[in-house]
Amino acid sequence: MTLHTRESARARWLGACWAIGVAGTAIAALAISGQESKTPPVVEGMAMPVSIHHPPARVKGPTQRTLTEPAPNVVPEAKANPAAVPDKYHARFESAQARAKLRAYEGAPPVVPHATEGLSVHACRECHGHGLRAGDKVARMASHTYLANCTQCHVEDQGLTQIGVAPTPVENLFKGLATSGYGSTRAWVGAPPVIPHTTFMRTNCVSCHGEYGYDGWRPDHLSRTNCVQCHTPGAHFEQMSPVFGDEASTAP
Amino acid sequence: MLTVDRREFLTAAAMAAATAAVAGKAKAVSLPVMGQGGLKWEKAPCRFCGTGCHVMVGTEAGKVVAIQGDQKAEVNRGLLCVKGYHVGLAMYGPDRLTTPMLRKNGRLEPITWDEAIDVIARRIMANPRTFAMYGSGQWTIPEGVAANKFMKGGLSNNYLDGNPRLCMASAVTGFLSTFGVDEPPGVYDDLDVCDVAIMWGNNMAEMHPVIFSRLIDRRSRGEKVMVIDLGTRRTRTTDHADEYLQFNPQSDLAIANGIAHLLLKNGTYDKRYVEKFCNFRQLDPEKPDVMQGKPMTFAEYESALAEYTPERVEQISGVPAAKIRMLGDLFGRRDLRINSLWCMGMNQHTRGTAINCLVHGIHLLSGHLGKPGDAATSLTGQPSACGTVREVGTLCHLLPGGRLIANEEHRKQAEGFWNLPEGRINPKPGYHTVLLFEKFCTPTDKGSDVQTLWVQVTNPGHSLPNLPKLFRGKKDLQDKFLIVSDVYPTATTELADLVLPSAMWVEKNGMYGNSERRTQQWFKMVDPPGQARDDCWQTIAVARRLFDLGFEGMKDKDGKFLFTFTNAKGDEVPVWDWNRYYDINVDEALFESYRPFTRMKHKDLAPYSEYVKARGLRWPVVEQPDGSWRETRWRFSEFDDPYVKKGAEMQFYHSVTKDDKALIWFRPYEAPPEVPDAEYPFWLCTGRVLEHWHTGSMTRRIPQLKRAMPESYVELNREDAVRLGVRSGDLVTITSRRAAVNLPAWIGGRGDPPKGSAFVPFFDEAMLINLVTLDAHDPFSKQPDYKKCAVSITKTV
Repeated sequence: MTLHTRESARARWLGACWAIGVAGTAIAALAISGQESKTPPVVEGMAMPVSIHHPPARVKGPTQRTLTEPAPNVVPEAKANPAAVPDKYHARFESAQARAKLRAYEGAPPVVPHATEGLSVHACRECHGHGLRAGDKVARMASHTYLANCTQCHVEDQGLTQIGVAPTPVENLFKGLATSGYGSTRAWVGAPPVIPHTTFMRTNCVSCHGEYGYDGWRPDHLSRTNCVQCHTPGAHFEQMSPVFGDEASTAP
Repeated sequence: MLTVDRREFLTAAAMAAATAAVAGKAKAVSLPVMGQGGLKWEKAPCRFCGTGCHVMVGTEAGKVVAIQGDQKAEVNRGLLCVKGYHVGLAMYGPDRLTTPMLRKNGRLEPITWDEAIDVIARRIMANPRTFAMYGSGQWTIPEGVAANKFMKGGLSNNYLDGNPRLCMASAVTGFLSTFGVDEPPGVYDDLDVCDVAIMWGNNMAEMHPVIFSRLIDRRSRGEKVMVIDLGTRRTRTTDHADEYLQFNPQSDLAIANGIAHLLLKNGTYDKRYVEKFCNFRQLDPEKPDVMQGKPMTFAEYESALAEYTPERVEQISGVPAAKIRMLGDLFGRRDLRINSLWCMGMNQHTRGTAINCLVHGIHLLSGHLGKPGDAATSLTGQPSACGTVREVGTLCHLLPGGRLIANEEHRKQAEGFWNLPEGRINPKPGYHTVLLFEKFCTPTDKGSDVQTLWVQVTNPGHSLPNLPKLFRGKKDLQDKFLIVSDVYPTATTELADLVLPSAMWVEKNGMYGNSERRTQQWFKMVDPPGQARDDCWQTIAVARRLFDLGFEGMKDKDGKFLFTFTNAKGDEVPVWDWNRYYDINVDEALFESYRPFTRMKHKDLAPYSEYVKARGLRWPVVEQPDGSWRETRWRFSEFDDPYVKKGAEMQFYHSVTKDDKALIWFRPYEAPPEVPDAEYPFWLCTGRVLEHWHTGSMTRRIPQLKRAMPESYVELNREDAVRLGVRSGDLVTITSRRAAVNLPAWIGGRGDPPKGSAFVPFFDEAMLINLVTLDAHDPFSKQPDYKKCAVSITKTV
């Protein structure tokens, strides 16, 4: 979370507290019950509390941050709409860049650009199961929905910010394999481009190339559904179909 | 002739323009085309946990640039976890150790390798009996082979132990007590076919996520698998479980006994299986420190279990009697396949051996052991705790291949394999980890006989329990000398007198052995940074320096150096010279020298070249008439294990009772050594998180992992937090009888501890929770209990 959004979130919170405080006072005054308001006192300079002091009964649920603040870094719809992008090549580049930002190298699982803690592990599917638009944000459809333990590979980009831990830069000299970007991926003029990434666990092309996909990566022939009929995996990656036990086991 | 496709040319031009446009802004990312530097892919097992996934490592221009899950690997079938996908980054932290350093006037100053090797050799020469080595389940198999031979065969010194003592020693004593031989009969294949999976205090979704997925992803294929989470707190595993049974710390003993009680009472135990394949055992009250115990009759067993009625078990454990009955009913069914899985919850336990025995016991009693899907399998935390420590025997009481130092016959065999003069191996076992560090932190004039300690590939200054006593005590002792071989500065190098920079993972050749008896191999792919060198070379170089200084023990029976290797032409290769170390494959030579040891316990290993071809092979790997090598999946089962005689069905051929039967143990519920009281009213449990591996020395240098989980915290129960006036993010002080640590509170976070308990992950060097934990340990395995001690929790002022 940048300082800017954090500040504004705090401002919103303080505003909400103030409003609740005023309402509470008014109700108390009306009821003349003498009962104290349960609203936590607002202290200037108080950090934004994330967990609610009087917790809801359920064990898991959305956090305050999830409710009050849209996820950062998610591609806004305006950018996801090809019609709104006159310069397709520029869009393609920006998409590649946005995509690379969330990955250590081409092929790495992307980190999650929003809070996940406090949610059930099954919550991911609510938005990423089919893909959806919420406001100006897009949740892409998972390209391997048969895998159930999403958080095994996808972790928060900025964890623990919910409890006030500031994101710290981490230095590392690793230079990851560049995102596929743009390369010579056609065998000849007019040939269909080969797929510049692995296809294992990425069998659902529309995740990135479909309705909720990236700018500039949506083909002009979305009506055709058998993508791999024309587009074959490139040779940069070690790709083979899984054959278990051919070398490792001679068991019956 | 125009060879560039016009459209491509225009596109490229547009891309260049776009790059230029974006480059004008801050933080532009360049997007070079991939694979231009000759991208190469090669297999290696993952560097982190004991699951033993294989990864494909992509290298370009001498650096690792990408990782893929290895689709040919049977363990992980192309899938990894977030640590595995980022394992390549572990080598590229900016503060890699790249030069040997010696502490002079309180500061670590660079020295040459030659000087460093000399410092160690001369300290050993001066006093070989007070030298000790502390190794690791992250040692490769050849590294362990070299260290074991160097210490026990060369120095006649058994002061060699390894960190698996903190990690799975209780699993070992459990297997030994039950089957007479270490390591699980079952394999991961059981996960593919079991109907019920029981997690015994095991957060598998975070700790062994890849094989957890192998289990639960069966549901996506329409299969039914019931997951029962027996736990002391809610975790991500709970989210995938059909049943969450929350028990009071330590009461797993009572739950297991409750299941056994019901199997007998309902008559649903497998009478035929028990009569054919099992004997009963208990500890001898007259000799309670003898692990082998004494026989008991079925009637005695039955009456010992009589008190563990579901109601009584509910009282002890807090698990409703109805749920204990449900567990009893499940085990009583012959039509289900049941797989029990555990890791540190059962092992880091002052009754770790007991609970391991009890879980094997209920599987044996109900016949749920030995058929695919019916298994009791311990999972390990380190990549080669099994391969290097349990099998090679780098512990203070072991020799390679399951041999015991205390056994004269075993010593003779080892001397034979190593070509040593008779009597070279010291018959007295050394110190187990906790005792070793206690001795190292005790002044020589107060009875300590450990003065110099060489630590390789592990971080005891962070991972030992009760650190003030077991590690920090070294700080002001002038007569102690700590040598640390590692890849990054750690809490251990902080107190080191000599620091040696090591090569890691694919910067060297290696072999690991995972949790399911699978031995794996990889080749060096990139060079280590600076002057970093292989740990195995370091051991051999010190051995050679001792040989050159005239140390008698570094010679074999024929007066030849212990680590004499020859090339294909038969010429000796001086591998102690770093420039010559990779002239031959030292790993292969050491591995082949170790293979003969593995036959006695039927843990047969194949030749090195077989592992080069495979994604690991599970022992016993037995040569077939056609010259091929066949691995074994289900040990002791006639249908798969070639060492089981025809018609036996099941044969526990290393049986303690020498009659091919396994032992069903009775062990009572016993209270833990420290329980919450008025002064320290909370239970404290420690453990791991998905993102960080053990002490975090590698994962905390990986941006994606560190950013996801930047620091440690304490999970509190909501009710407790409300009572303490603590909100998420507030700093709280956790105090035990040992020490106090401040941590931010997290309520309703990753895990949810029940009222009266708290959980802290141990990865964070800046918030060392092991200052607080207890050093009480299991009497047989000597493994400490990191999972329960009493603490007080207050809001930090």
